Amino acid sequence: MNKVIDKKVAPKKNKKPASLDAKKARAGWIFVLPFILGFVLIYLPIIINSIRFSFSEIRILTEGGYELEFVGLTNYSNAIFVDPGFTQALVAGMKQLIIDIPCIVFFSLFIAIILNQKILGRAAFRAIFFIPVILTTGLIGQIDANNAMLQNMQSGSANMGLGEEESATSQILSVVDVQQLFANMAIGQGLVKYVVDAVNSIFDIVNRCGVQMLIFLSGLQSISPAIYESCSIDGASGWETFWKVTLPMVSPMILVNTIYTVIDAFTASKNTVMAYIDNVYSSQVGGNVLSSAMSWMYFMLVIAIIGIVAAILSTFVFYQRRD
Amino acid sequence: MNNAQAPKVKKDSKNKIRVEFDRTPLIDRLRAKFLNLYTVKRVVWYLFRFLLLLGVSYIILFPFFSKVSSSFMSETDFVDVTVRLIPKSPTLQTYEAIITENSYFKAFGNTLVLSLVCAVLQTFICCFIGYGFAKFKFKGSGALFLLVIFTMIVPHSTLKLSMFLHFKDFDILGILGIFNKLGVLERPGIPLLDTNWPLWIMSATGLAYKNGLFIFLMRQFYRGIPDELEESAYLDGSGVFKTFFTIIIPLSVTMIVTVFMFSFCWQWTDTFYSSLFYTQTGPLLLNRIIKIPDSLAELTEASSSALFGAAVKNTCGILIIIPLVIMYLFGQKYIVQGIERSGITG
Repeated sequence: MNKVIDKKVAPKKNKKPASLDAKKARAGWIFVLPFILGFVLIYLPIIINSIRFSFSEIRILTEGGYELEFVGLTNYSNAIFVDPGFTQALVAGMKQLIIDIPCIVFFSLFIAIILNQKILGRAAFRAIFFIPVILTTGLIGQIDANNAMLQNMQSGSANMGLGEEESATSQILSVVDVQQLFANMAIGQGLVKYVVDAVNSIFDIVNRCGVQMLIFLSGLQSISPAIYESCSIDGASGWETFWKVTLPMVSPMILVNTIYTVIDAFTASKNTVMAYIDNVYSSQVGGNVLSSAMSWMYFMLVIAIIGIVAAILSTFVFYQRRD
Repeated sequence: MNNAQAPKVKKDSKNKIRVEFDRTPLIDRLRAKFLNLYTVKRVVWYLFRFLLLLGVSYIILFPFFSKVSSSFMSETDFVDVTVRLIPKSPTLQTYEAIITENSYFKAFGNTLVLSLVCAVLQTFICCFIGYGFAKFKFKGSGALFLLVIFTMIVPHSTLKLSMFLHFKDFDILGILGIFNKLGVLERPGIPLLDTNWPLWIMSATGLAYKNGLFIFLMRQFYRGIPDELEESAYLDGSGVFKTFFTIIIPLSVTMIVTVFMFSFCWQWTDTFYSSLFYTQTGPLLLNRIIKIPDSLAELTEASSSALFGAAVKNTCGILIIIPLVIMYLFGQKYIVQGIERSGITG
């Protein structure tokens, strides 16, 4: 009996149309197709050319096209050993990155948690906090950056008519005040200065927090209220709930946000290294290839930083098991 | 409570009883309710939160207020020390000069066409790609998603030179270059500089500014939509694409609006691409109207401080972001909602 049935089924299997999984896989490819096309036809040539340029001399021809001459690692060694400011800018940029990132991540987490709680005018506050993401980018950021008036305003003073002496004294916090406050505590000078700098650059930090805040908010929204309810029934305080529930549950978002912040910080045009590279691109003879060599080195460095940060953070990340 | 007498139970009627007992006075009850550590802590925390949010909102909004107010000031107000936020001799000359002399409306129109097409393309394509990554399992989808992240990580300024040359003589896989060598074509590609095509092409393939982020957001959003929804649509005989267009797209309106606003605004205020792909002879975009109009040039030099010049440039900035502000007023609720519904997990 069995044999007969087997024979009957076997030829049918060959004729059978593609299974649902195969169909879905095909549909998936179609959905992703625009990206694949763009990546292969446009992005890959651009990337490969950029790497080639960093190893070459370039002459752009007037009738179209360009000529390349392979020069090996000359551009790279020029960038490190000959160029006066590159290594300094690199070190300064890295320092800035390390200072900025914890500040931005913690601030955005904090604000996201507050915006997630019930408070008077929550919708209005949320709308206000996302304004910088939309409006203070690109052009507007550029206008603001070299603007004497705004520098006065950022430091909290409304008096635009007054000169620079005024703005120096009207900062939100000054190092001396805080030092007096913490004089008897065993807090290092460096930490005090760090906090003061962070408070005074609050405008900048708020501007750069938008997307991170969105990601944290959505993460907080996805935590089931049942967990908080059972916590409060068991008598946990808000403080304990934060450390035992909220923080582990948003830890994947902390990882995502830290990486995003690193990427965002180092691709921003305000970044010292980026500004330096841009300057080299437009000012020096042969600066265009030199700048690609520089930016590839910079890119490698940042990839390394992202790798280290991701490796450290991913040991603390807690993933909720899903069924 | 100790000396309170035992409550008396009175029978009013067959089904009703009345209990009489001494209540603690109202003041005591209120005190017990509100003057404990728990309530005090909550009130203090509430006030702290509220003040903090208020303060940060002030920091965000104040520059906008002061920019708007300074845009109405005439040059004498900048010399006058007593003038702070409210101008003494308000004037519209700054606006007039910028609109007429910097040909604001021409730049506005050009940028509108560019940004609108870019934003629509980016939103739709990122939706499409994000859905593909979220709901379909196929070989290599993980690796492809890593490539998306890769395009997000490599800064476009690293690729400045080669991007410029690529679109200076646009060519697909060197096919046109071969024709050039054979002598059929004069140039080794199609010159696309000073047109909107470079940005449109990049938008249509999900490679433009921060499109990796959009794809990521859309993917997370679609992951939150239960599979059962699509399965029931499939059972009813709807194809994959019909399901996508008739069921998934209407569900994701909030996220679509969010991504659209991001892409539109970032394209609108973009400086990098518009200075890379457009030369001085090309179409006028908004990034080139930020300059001091000729009729005001004398005044800005004369008023000794650079404040008036800065104010004029700020006014340019205000004129540029007016449409974005209007759009944000209508769209902000979608941003908040859209984010609330996308459960992003790492």
